[in-house]
Amino acid sequence: MVQQQQLDDHLDRAFGALSDPTRRSILTRLGEGPATLSQLAEPTGMTLTGLSKHVQVLEDADLVTTEKVGRSRQVRLGTERLDDAMQWITFYQRLWERRLDGLEVYFTLQKGTDK
Amino acid sequence: MSDTFELRMTRLLPATPEQVFDAYTDAEKQKVWFSILDEEPGVVEIEVDLRVGGEQTAVWGPSRDELFRETQVFRVIDRPRRLVTTSTGSDPSGAVMVTEVEVTFEEQGGGTLMSVVQSGFPDAATRDFFQTMAWVGAFDRIEAYLVREFA
Repeated sequence: MVQQQQLDDHLDRAFGALSDPTRRSILTRLGEGPATLSQLAEPTGMTLTGLSKHVQVLEDADLVTTEKVGRSRQVRLGTERLDDAMQWITFYQRLWERRLDGLEVYFTLQKGTDK
Repeated sequence: MSDTFELRMTRLLPATPEQVFDAYTDAEKQKVWFSILDEEPGVVEIEVDLRVGGEQTAVWGPSRDELFRETQVFRVIDRPRRLVTTSTGSDPSGAVMVTEVEVTFEEQGGGTLMSVVQSGFPDAATRDFFQTMAWVGAFDRIEAYLVREFA
């Protein structure tokens, strides 16, 4: 029962958030990738404050997450801050760096002993 | 819009493509270069069966409790130019990721340019986008219905 209530609340917030065309266009833009608040504001001609309010509604509905990057605030779709794919890419990046570093040192040492 | 991410890396190595290809694929040599930079050996297992359909497995990690396993199945073996494998990675929690790996070895200025392209990582932003758009679409349909019925 509690779970059903939570789901209903969540859906109410999500549909409430989606009931506005500006917020729907923000989501469409974010589908192309994360964007800063000013990047989102530009095509709409809205002020940053006005746009922030819309983003806040989307964030409350768990449709987007925001993160401070340098001096600006970045907005992205979804609730997972560091999603699975990015974790795996980071992991493989370390693995390949390790492999390539290892090979480089291996051949550099070998070259040294050949001479 | 693509629905996957890919990882690309290149490195210029001071050896011929044959030497790099062999060092990269040989199990005994792998054990040497894979752990050459480790203060303590971090690799616990390496196996290579270099034939199409054969497997290459590496198990390593910072400790015995945090071991990652990667098994690559050889799809294309074109010594010393190119290797294509399907990689299955599994982390300590048991999560699994299947990707495609292409490694190429090109002669460049007396050395070898080794390039890695790993593709097939699902792009969660794209996945979320389609989920969100399904909702948006549903909402637009409801809106269209209401306009038609009540306007």
